[in-house]
Amino acid sequence: MNASLISLEISVIGLGLVLMLADFFVPAERRRFIGYAAIAALGVLLVAGLSGNGSCSQFGTAFNGMFVNDALSLFFKRFFIVAAILVLFMAAEFSDRLAAGSIAEYYSLIVFALAGMLFAASSNDFTMLFVSIELITITFYVLVSFQRGKLQSLEAGVKYLILGALSSAFMVFGIALIWGTTGKLNFTELAAVAPQFADSKIFLLGVLFVLVGLGFKIAMFPFQIWAPDVYQGAPTPTTAFLAVGSKAAGFVLLLRVLFTAVPSVTHNWANLLIIISGITILYGNLCAIPQRNLKRLLGYSSIAHAGYLLLGVAALSASGQAAVLYYLAGYLFTVMAAFMVIALVLRHLATEDISGLAGLSQRSPLLAATMTIAMVSLAGIPPLAGFFGKFLLLKSVIETAQVTGNHGYYCLAFTALAGVIISLYYYFGVVRAIYWSKSATDLSPIELSAPAKVSIWVCIAGMFWLGLFPNMVLNFANEAAKVLGK
Amino acid sequence: MKLEVLPWIILFLPLLAATVITLFTLRCRTTSALISIGAIVTGFILTIAFIGANGFHPAVSETAVNWLSIGGLQIDFGLKLDALSLMMLLIVTGVGGAIHIYSFGYMHEDKGMARFFAFMSLFTFSMLGVVLANNFLMMFIFWELVGVSSYLLIGFWFEKPSAGDAAKKAFITNRLGDFGFLLGILAVWAFLGSLNFSALQDRIIEHKNSANTIGFFLTRFPLGDFSFDMNMTIIGLLLFCGAVGKSAQFPLHVWLPDAMEGPTPVSALIHAATMVAAGVYMLCRVLFLLNADALHVIAYIGGFTALLAALIAVQQNDIKRILAYSTLSQLGYMVMAVGLSGPTPAMFHLTTHAFFKALLFLGAGSVIHGLHEEQDIWKMGGLKKKMPVTFWTFIIGTLALSGVPPFSGFYSKDSILAQALNTKNYLLFAVAVFVAALTTFYMFRLFFVAFLGEARTEKAKHAHESPKVMTLPLIALAVFAVIGGFIGITNNYGSQFFVEHEPLSVAQQALEPLHNIFPMLLGISAVAVGLFAAFTLYKNAATDPLPAKLGGLATAMKNRFYFDELYEATVIRAHDFIAAVADWIDRWIIEGACIGLVRGGTDLTGRALRLAQTGNLQTYAFLFVLGVALLLYFVLGK
Repeated sequence: MNASLISLEISVIGLGLVLMLADFFVPAERRRFIGYAAIAALGVLLVAGLSGNGSCSQFGTAFNGMFVNDALSLFFKRFFIVAAILVLFMAAEFSDRLAAGSIAEYYSLIVFALAGMLFAASSNDFTMLFVSIELITITFYVLVSFQRGKLQSLEAGVKYLILGALSSAFMVFGIALIWGTTGKLNFTELAAVAPQFADSKIFLLGVLFVLVGLGFKIAMFPFQIWAPDVYQGAPTPTTAFLAVGSKAAGFVLLLRVLFTAVPSVTHNWANLLIIISGITILYGNLCAIPQRNLKRLLGYSSIAHAGYLLLGVAALSASGQAAVLYYLAGYLFTVMAAFMVIALVLRHLATEDISGLAGLSQRSPLLAATMTIAMVSLAGIPPLAGFFGKFLLLKSVIETAQVTGNHGYYCLAFTALAGVIISLYYYFGVVRAIYWSKSATDLSPIELSAPAKVSIWVCIAGMFWLGLFPNMVLNFANEAAKVLGK
Repeated sequence: MKLEVLPWIILFLPLLAATVITLFTLRCRTTSALISIGAIVTGFILTIAFIGANGFHPAVSETAVNWLSIGGLQIDFGLKLDALSLMMLLIVTGVGGAIHIYSFGYMHEDKGMARFFAFMSLFTFSMLGVVLANNFLMMFIFWELVGVSSYLLIGFWFEKPSAGDAAKKAFITNRLGDFGFLLGILAVWAFLGSLNFSALQDRIIEHKNSANTIGFFLTRFPLGDFSFDMNMTIIGLLLFCGAVGKSAQFPLHVWLPDAMEGPTPVSALIHAATMVAAGVYMLCRVLFLLNADALHVIAYIGGFTALLAALIAVQQNDIKRILAYSTLSQLGYMVMAVGLSGPTPAMFHLTTHAFFKALLFLGAGSVIHGLHEEQDIWKMGGLKKKMPVTFWTFIIGTLALSGVPPFSGFYSKDSILAQALNTKNYLLFAVAVFVAALTTFYMFRLFFVAFLGEARTEKAKHAHESPKVMTLPLIALAVFAVIGGFIGITNNYGSQFFVEHEPLSVAQQALEPLHNIFPMLLGISAVAVGLFAAFTLYKNAATDPLPAKLGGLATAMKNRFYFDELYEATVIRAHDFIAAVADWIDRWIIEGACIGLVRGGTDLTGRALRLAQTGNLQTYAFLFVLGVALLLYFVLGK
């Protein structure tokens, strides 16, 4: 066994422990700055460990093939660390709203969740899958209910806990059924024997239950019901990490299960994926229309985006999988930008209504522009990341439609376009509130700290970079998708 | 630095100027003006440098970057550099530069001077784009940009309703022609499979040389199964539509006189020297696509426009409108020359016309400026002593336009007359001679009434000469209006259109009309008749004696043969009716029924779905399990 393969994960867990211990030595009013140390540490890991020939980016398998380092895991590990860095920036800005001095604990929980995501990226075995997903989910139970003084936060935590436990129960049951029928837990080994069990209903039931568990993580229909309530109640940095990190972890596992472990089953389920994807898109977008609460709105929008991402999964092709990865990268910067603005603007307001954004264009032109760009990117308008990602997803769906002749794919592409049109309405409702709202009462300028500005500029740069110069990330995504096979 | 870079710089400098002015210096009037003037003058100097180094036929005649490729269609963003485009480059930057400088004085009191110069630079950029384009699509884009900047400049004083209306009229009328032009371009692409001028020329030559006259083209032509010639006629006429709009030929000539609502330098630059010439330039650029039938139509339209506009000009009283109709008439000459297979005379006349018509417009602007916005010639008079520079340069312009030897207009007009006679089109030759007489008549009518005699009004009595910044461009243009006939312009154009063209010396050029003695004599006698008639009628006239003599004809001329009224009663009324119907359909059927239902339905679905989101945990868990059951049924239930 090659232990150096998991050096990245070990370092991240070590970092989490250090952050926790720092709690004892740093006075409460200065604990906020621990976050910047954590950001620096993760930055070093990203640059030194995960660059082209970094120490943690060598490929191979460990623990009898349970753990795998390949192009796909590398892509997602980079993704998760960037996401965690941005969330830590946000958490540092958010510290004054948490119980006094508890911010260091919050940081360490974020880092532990990150460790779970890194393991998820490398999972090649159902045991590993379950353990990593539980590491993420259990950390998130705490992160969601972290504002202990706030009723909404606690309510969100309880809902997430119970529904999460329900989905975990289904998943572990599914894993048991798969093991019971095939005797295999390793994805690669399972792939070899799965075709023999294509007609075994018990086996299919097992795969389906695993899908239920993962579907819960990514908030796909019909397991999306928790998303708006939890997004709304959780502290904003948690919501951002949930929307980006947890969802991406669900997708990397979904891709590995569907395309590495049971590709023979997946290819029979094309219609199921088409229907789920289409309904998820419509559900998210339609429900977002009447929403006035910003975080709830983004909760529904995150459901819709899970639907868009499922387009690439349903396409059942390498280009579709690459499109999923590319779209996630763009989604990362866009969602982080939006939640950063929410965290900063709604800091002193009791409500999280869209009307809280009124007059933002005068209070802080930078934040107003950031929110506008983020909304425009989510809506998928060129030249931003969201447009190019949607373009790739739709392209892959149309290609598959042409190859297979399945008309369902055309309907799916049409549904996705209809969803985009609907989404324009509520995304631009936010933009309208920023620039054209007449009811602005508070016009005091918003002061931004230097780190907040840095993270905002990173997000803006990311959105434009992915929209205008897609080649580099697209190459990474294509490389990563090759790992999955068909 | 390679020399091929120069044309790119020349092209993009004005755009840069327009951008900088719009974004940064709108509040600094003088700075904005200097940026704009600097851009075009630099362009002029660079053009001369480029021609000095490469001559009129550079070794690298095209420089292009791939702009976009969709399927089999590849579009370059490329520049074509040959005698034709380089001469036009000189005209646009040279005459345009003089007009820019003049505008600095003319617009000095105007609050919107910075905006004015931003528009002027935008126009210069667009016009240079039309001139340099190496393919149809690029030309069309710049062609439309020219239309937009012309719209902006005609409507520059947008607070005046008449200016706004004139701008709209110009734009919409142009769009009518452009629609045909666009169809022509599409047909060219469908039929000949390329949009690049050089590639198209090669294909036409290839077709002429091949024995198989049906060729591979036919199957791809969208209009129907016509012969090759028939297709080319259709294409030629569609392309000509563009020229009819831009160069204001009958029946789309109505916009140009109204366009005089813009500031006078605009009239000089856009509606005399450059933009309206774009149509003629385009026809010369794609001459190889025009076959005999198309050329025939073009020639007669041109001749008719020349005659019609000259007749109308005889009875106008607004100094700028007289010049506007004169421009129409001269454009008619050029189009006619193209139609008579004479691109060299057409471009020759275009060039000299740019000099002397810009000169006349700027002179008129100087008069208007000196008389505090007075434009009626019958309220002028006796300006000779008060505005000497304007007077002398204006008379040079008048003589050149009338075609008095040895002024430039004499040579270019004579070459058109000769072309008509040589192609044995006696009808058009007669028309051209008659129009020459009319031209002299209306120009000297203007001259006698406005400049000589006694001052008729208080304003005219207190007229003053314009500042140097305005008179110097007048002098510069006057010099070229005098010598334009024999400084080698024909040599350059000749070398463009005829491979075996022998350049003539200055003396040979000066004596060139003697080779065709008959048209020259007729041309000169037409001038003499016109001058004599104007002298007898208008020398010291206090009012216009002509209406009494001509009766109804004069009224018709004065009212521009009722074209505007005719269009108002037919085209515009029909259009309003269709618009009303479309409005009704849009409002009630599309907006009301279709969009209303979809929007309402979507909204309602959203609100209904929201009900599922009760916030109750038991309900959520139930829905979750229901979802699992649904999936199970879907996958395993069958």
